Amino acid sequence: MTQPPLTFDLASTRLDNGLEVIVAPDADAPGVAVNLWVEVGSADEVEGRTGFAHLFEHLMFQGSENVASGEHMATVEAMGGTVNATTSTDRTNYFETVPRGGLELALWLEADRFASLAITPENFEAQRQVVKEEKRQRYDNQPYGDLLELLVAQHFPAEHPYGHLTIGSMAHLDDAALDDVAGFFRSWYRAANTSLVLCGPVTPDEGVALADRYFGALPQLPATPRNLAGSVATLAPQTTTVVRAVPHSLSYLSWDLPIASHPDMTALDLALMILADGPSSRLHKSLVRTGSAAHEIHGAALTHRSAASIATILGRPTEDTSTEHLAAAIFSELDRFIQDGPTGSELARAKAQSESDDLWGLATTTGRADAINEYRQLYGSPASINDHLSDVAEVTAEDVARAAAQWLRPNNAHQLHYLAEDAR
Amino acid sequence: MNRPTVTTDSAWQFPTPEITTLGNGLTLWYFAMPNQHMTSFNLMLPAPLAGEPASLEGVGTLALNASDEGTLRHPDGEITELLELQGATLSGTARFHYTTFGGTAPSTHLADTLPLFLEVLRQPAFAEQDITHHIEALTASFDSRLASPEASNRMAMRVALFGGDHREGRPAAGTPSTLLAITPDDVRAWHSAHFRPEGATLLVAGATAPDDSIRLLESWLGAPELKPDDSPADRQHPSVVVVDRPEAVQAVISVGLRTPTRTDPRWAGLRIAGHAIAGAFASRLNLELRERLGYTYGVGGGIAPGLREGLLTIGGSVRTEVAGDSVARILDGLRLDAPLTDAEVDDARAYLVAVAPLANETSSDITAQACALAAAGLDPSFLNEHFAALTRVTASEATAAWREVVRPEQLTVAVTGDAEKLTPALTALGLTPQVVDLRSWS
Repeated sequence: MTQPPLTFDLASTRLDNGLEVIVAPDADAPGVAVNLWVEVGSADEVEGRTGFAHLFEHLMFQGSENVASGEHMATVEAMGGTVNATTSTDRTNYFETVPRGGLELALWLEADRFASLAITPENFEAQRQVVKEEKRQRYDNQPYGDLLELLVAQHFPAEHPYGHLTIGSMAHLDDAALDDVAGFFRSWYRAANTSLVLCGPVTPDEGVALADRYFGALPQLPATPRNLAGSVATLAPQTTTVVRAVPHSLSYLSWDLPIASHPDMTALDLALMILADGPSSRLHKSLVRTGSAAHEIHGAALTHRSAASIATILGRPTEDTSTEHLAAAIFSELDRFIQDGPTGSELARAKAQSESDDLWGLATTTGRADAINEYRQLYGSPASINDHLSDVAEVTAEDVARAAAQWLRPNNAHQLHYLAEDAR
Repeated sequence: MNRPTVTTDSAWQFPTPEITTLGNGLTLWYFAMPNQHMTSFNLMLPAPLAGEPASLEGVGTLALNASDEGTLRHPDGEITELLELQGATLSGTARFHYTTFGGTAPSTHLADTLPLFLEVLRQPAFAEQDITHHIEALTASFDSRLASPEASNRMAMRVALFGGDHREGRPAAGTPSTLLAITPDDVRAWHSAHFRPEGATLLVAGATAPDDSIRLLESWLGAPELKPDDSPADRQHPSVVVVDRPEAVQAVISVGLRTPTRTDPRWAGLRIAGHAIAGAFASRLNLELRERLGYTYGVGGGIAPGLREGLLTIGGSVRTEVAGDSVARILDGLRLDAPLTDAEVDDARAYLVAVAPLANETSSDITAQACALAAAGLDPSFLNEHFAALTRVTASEATAAWREVVRPEQLTVAVTGDAEKLTPALTALGLTPQVVDLRSWS
């Protein structure tokens, strides 16, 4: 392992209205990333309104006092910038990366919609349809398109904040009303619920002055508290079997993990890499390379800020292996891993791969700005981005074994057997 | 608060590499990027899929995918572990005209990674169990693409544009019937014939120069044994094809055409027109089909450059009920009856020129772009000439270029969805849809 090769200079301040402003100067970057995180996501949606936080994100491009519908994106593109927004369970982010000469216009565009969103019935209806098409394109029209929904339903009851997908349900999207928009905006899109990261050729003084010039007039209102943690319990481990018109059957195993900022998460990420990431992972070597049970195995973590995150291990069984048999074979390897822990070589490789993944994530100003906002949200301090590489470097084999023993025990696993209707 | 104006930064130039031709005929392009902590390297091999035996298609992709499973010196996954220990990953793509193979590593580990990469290039073991594993993986991947509405649409479009009798019309990674016929000896033969330094170009971008590895690179010897005929397919008659997915809730629509490429004097005009018509978020088609009508999550596309030809592909996914109307509107839009305005062309030009520094921010961006240029036999300075050409294009030139090249009667349409509903909707437009069965390749 090399020593952590980079540290970012960060300057952060809070405007009088509560907006947090973080500047990450990078004089040589090709553009400035403007990245806003609003502390609202699908976990904050009220009953009968799933999908609203994301629909609202679409509406933020539909015009404000001085900006016509669609003009925000068109303007950023026409200055050679990139622009988008996304919604997750825990936040909504709005971001553009623009040439330095376009920074002020980008901030003006953002500030205008945060100050004066203006939605017409026609724009609202068109975006409702666009979001329904997004749901069809990403989920309903895709093979395995309900895998995530089935996974979430195994872990959370419907009334849990994380018990539904961010995209929402068609029925709730149909029920969403223009009247809901103003209230949602008032409740959540407050300066004190928002943080702005500027990353690129801009000094801290310039960045703070520009943020104050464009966002300083937003009203000073108290932050809206989220009401998420601990209110509804997660579900006990369960086994679900479905049959679908897909090309291959899958064993999809999953576990409750701690919240995203829990100290065990670093060790758990490494554990999942060692177990199931790539051709030299444990499970690939023992179950794929030998041809004994699986053709492919992958691991992943779905992180949540305020309640259980989820670890997944997905396996595609060989033709003469049932999904139950593959699950049992994975559990058996997992028992051994929990018992013995990773080898020195396994841990060193996982750390090297983790470092490369981090470096890629930080290679663009767009990625870096978003990561800074993520660290700010998860750990309360944007500067914690500078600790992650050394946190990974310090994880020991014992840490990985202990975290796996606590969180990845076979008898705590949910099993989803996703069976192909006509296996090849 | 007054709307701020945009100040224009000085024109950006694609970086100039240090170019070295080694004694073994390998050309090295190094792009110094001192702020990139991850280095990217990419080898452009003149190994065209055009040279694959028809009964063994997929062998070129197998030779890539299986090569880092083991080498003669480090068999049975040992080489993979050594690469992982460096934080390095390898990947490659075999194409009709050429093959690329490369990877990424932290810049501080480049000197330890390139010798491992060279070992993979020169002495892959191609053990039987690894070939068997990758044949299964490619076969499964073919089945997954058949099941995917977007991937099956692309497959149908290719065969309609290039013809099933031509290699470029058939799946690059082979089909189950050809894949299952491939033996380890076939893979070794392909590797031995094509993985040679002479005529290849290695592109490296990152904070560390590959100086320490030059002597090692020079010890790799040989020239490709064959120069396969990779001439383009005959023009196919334009057609309207439907891939049936019964009860699908959406239709994936694409409109395609083989076009001129970078060296055509109209190229800059075609790029600008494509961006204004379909490429931008604020493109004519996206504003109409997404923002005004709410038919789709997005329509996109444009004209992409290729080695001898370019390829126009424009489309998106729409709910089944409006598929016919969407196809009609896309075809109408591509006809460009209303010429492009000065404002549209100015915006498209501004985007294509000014986004270049962001689009080339990482080391991988640079090597991917440079690889495409090297494969086309173009100098890295081509891009700067292209940016200059973009600044000169007028609205009438862009309109004229598009109308000359994108002839409505020449367009091919592929739609993936519920054929029972799509066929009458397309017929009502005066089109003659044919349902195609891609499973015949299985």
